[in-house]
Amino acid sequence: MTQELRPPWDEDPDDLYEHAPCGYLTMLPDGTIVRVNQTFLTWTGYQRGDLVGHRRFRDLLSAGGQLYHETHYAPLLRLRDEVRELAFDVVCADGRTLPTVVNSMLARGPEREPRAIRAMVLDATERRRNEQELLDSRRRAEDSERRIRVLQEVVADLAAAPTEAEVAEAVVRAPESAFGAASSSIYLIDPERETIVAVASTDPTTGNWDDMPVTSSRAVARVAERGDLHVVGSLAEAARHFPDLVDNMRRSGRDTVVLLPLTTGPTEEHAGAETLGVLAFSFTGERKLSDADLSVVRLLGQQAGQALDRARLYDEARRREERVTFLAETTRALDELPRMLPRARRLLDRLVPEIADWAEVRLSVGPTGVQEERGARPPDPDMLALALARVTASGEPIFPAADEKLACAVLPLTARGRVLGTLALRRTPERGSDDHERAFLLELADRSALTLENSRLYEQERQIARTLQRSLLAGGPPGGDKRFTVETHYQAAGQDLEVGGDWFDAFLITKDRLAVVVGDVVGRGIDAATTMGQLRSAIRALSGEDVGPARLLEGLDRFVDRVESARMATVAYAEIDLVTGDLTYACAGHLPPLLQEPGGAPEYLMQARSAGLGSRAGDLRRTQETRRLPAGSRLLLYTDGLIERRSRPLDKGFELLAREFARRQDAPLQGFTAGLADTLVGRDHADDVCLLCVSLGTEERIERTIGADRMQITLLRADLRAWLVSHGVEPETRDAVLLACSEAVANSIEHGYRDDPFGMIDVVATVTADAVEVKVADRGTWRGPMTDVSRGRGLQLIRESMDQVLFDRSDGTIVTMRRAREAAA
Amino acid sequence: MTEQWVTFSKIGDAALVSLSGEIDLANSGEIGKAIVGRIRDSGKVLIDLTTVSFLDSAGVRLLDALVGDLAAQGKRARLVVGERGAARMTLRLCAFREDVLSTDRDRAAAELGG
Repeated sequence: MTQELRPPWDEDPDDLYEHAPCGYLTMLPDGTIVRVNQTFLTWTGYQRGDLVGHRRFRDLLSAGGQLYHETHYAPLLRLRDEVRELAFDVVCADGRTLPTVVNSMLARGPEREPRAIRAMVLDATERRRNEQELLDSRRRAEDSERRIRVLQEVVADLAAAPTEAEVAEAVVRAPESAFGAASSSIYLIDPERETIVAVASTDPTTGNWDDMPVTSSRAVARVAERGDLHVVGSLAEAARHFPDLVDNMRRSGRDTVVLLPLTTGPTEEHAGAETLGVLAFSFTGERKLSDADLSVVRLLGQQAGQALDRARLYDEARRREERVTFLAETTRALDELPRMLPRARRLLDRLVPEIADWAEVRLSVGPTGVQEERGARPPDPDMLALALARVTASGEPIFPAADEKLACAVLPLTARGRVLGTLALRRTPERGSDDHERAFLLELADRSALTLENSRLYEQERQIARTLQRSLLAGGPPGGDKRFTVETHYQAAGQDLEVGGDWFDAFLITKDRLAVVVGDVVGRGIDAATTMGQLRSAIRALSGEDVGPARLLEGLDRFVDRVESARMATVAYAEIDLVTGDLTYACAGHLPPLLQEPGGAPEYLMQARSAGLGSRAGDLRRTQETRRLPAGSRLLLYTDGLIERRSRPLDKGFELLAREFARRQDAPLQGFTAGLADTLVGRDHADDVCLLCVSLGTEERIERTIGADRMQITLLRADLRAWLVSHGVEPETRDAVLLACSEAVANSIEHGYRDDPFGMIDVVATVTADAVEVKVADRGTWRGPMTDVSRGRGLQLIRESMDQVLFDRSDGTIVTMRRAREAAA
Repeated sequence: MTEQWVTFSKIGDAALVSLSGEIDLANSGEIGKAIVGRIRDSGKVLIDLTTVSFLDSAGVRLLDALVGDLAAQGKRARLVVGERGAARMTLRLCAFREDVLSTDRDRAAAELGG
């Protein structure tokens, strides 16, 4: 049981309906409005008669609302008989829209057929606004958060960017991600050249990339000068303030452009804030930037400006360090090469391509001068010649101006107050500030000049030393005496070394006494060459018929007390008595002479050794050694360059020399020393090499006794060949004699001694001016005429190659053969 | 053992036997064996004597035998020998057949080929 409470005032149900705080509508199932309350009419401004029986609810909705009504409202209502809180914008009589929320119920008849729709309409204006604001503020918060994040990232990137280029790269990406800009570009100010240069862009198809002077009227330059942010909000604005932007904006479809100076500090405090560049970014569609946006943009400008400032300082410091390193390394690299041309070439190799793409050195030295260049695209020759002449005349450098066609620096190479030549070079782009650049180039030229001047002096001294040395070694050894032959060879060290103090000498003390010397002065260059000349003269002066090597060395010891530069020089000195063949020798700290007697093994003469000249610590007791040399002996004096190698022990050098010496014992003396030097040291060697070989007498007769062994024929032939060569027997005759002699010996082995492997064969050969005579004798058995075809050929060869052949078979076989020499024939 | 006196190679499709140094009684036997072993399958043989510094009758006997054997097998051979020098002298003194001698290796090879 419910008890109805009476309200304290009369409620008129009609009034309640008409003026309820919400709109009421009753509709037929097809939506036709059949009843509506006053509240709804008041809100919408319709007359009751406009609606009832004439309009459907959906006719009052906006286009989107009608669609929603069709797709959602009506089907839901039919399905559930009730829908709640559907938002519709109702189009009012005057065209305003009224945001509403609608609740509806479908009433059905007894057969459950739809009979009427009742709808309650609430005014949602406030609510919608609240929602919108909520959405807006959320979006703003998100935007701001995104901007902060982008800015943080940019700042982090900037902190890690050590160069201008990297800073520019980090900054230029920011406007797109932070503000949704369509593209952005960055311009940097080059204070030295007073220009503004575009360095990076996210869309290089937009904008004008020409360098501009800082005084240009272009928008970028104006903003850079003012140092404050400028927003060009529309094409119209652009046309008013910065006409240069209009074309670009129109072409690339931009409506808003922001020009942000990159400053080293906040732009409000103008004092001390320097503008280093401009970041320009643009939007498609006119874009209003809020105050919050603008403050973030300004912050970006400062952060980027500071990063640029840091990078510039860092760049400059790095460049300065690189330049210092480059100069030091260049000087060191040049010092490795003492000669001028290699030095000039190395200088160019250092410059191109590392700091220049073209460079040229000209030196006005010597009869032809030096002109070397590296790199591609040499500058215009006429302009260059003009610049070179100016620099050479004035001694003042020329640096290229930006607008100059020559485009290369021409620097004087000045040393000791003289312009030695010029260094011209075209720098590769990266170079930094011009003051530093000039200072660097001048320093480079000064250092180069000094090192080239040193090499010129070196070259000069080297030339003098060579000339001196050559004059001292000239005037060949004594010749024309049949009793001896002297062969010398001097080989200068690899081309980049100074002359050494090696020398040789051979002279006749008396008509029967030959002196030979090889020595080595400590040091190199002019001093060594001069000292060598003094010692050479001293030896000639000190030698005498009754002096001998030991006393001569004592004399030299006294000499070096007066000529200090000769101290510790080494000398191998020998005298040969041309009558007896007596060799007397002594070595003062010098390598031992090498002797080869005919038929013997090579032998180093190790006696009579003492210390270098004037040695204070060494044994100065000078002794001498004498031995008799058989005719045909060869004595070799040499300096250490012949055998000393860093890569092998000295014994190996001695061993190698002895082997080569022996191997060449049959070689003619002419060219013997040169060949030896060639084999032992080759062409590229680090030390001078000096050799003297004296060959004693020539055997008038050669006598050999060999076993009946075919291998011995080869050895005999070698001896015989050398002997024939030493007598200057002409090749045709020599070959003929060798052939005949070989055949005769072969005959003895194969025929006379065919049953006697221990038989001996004597060979004696003599040479005169007219003829060569050879006698081959065995004690084998003669067995009648030979039937062997090949041995027959041997005998035939003997007869054919010699003029006279005599067979004596009285005791064994003696073949006597003679051939006239060509000169006599 | 005989490398210092004899080396083998090809010139065109001919076998090239290059002799060098002194060829005499002491080494001709060995050299001969080495050569025969190497040219067995060659239809054409060129023997280069331009760097031979001495040639005696034993060497001549070797060359004579080689050329003779090759001819008997229907193979062609040429000796290349300088216009002067020890080898030429010995061959001339032995009246070696001029038609197997040549002074130019390439020409000799061409003649063999034709």
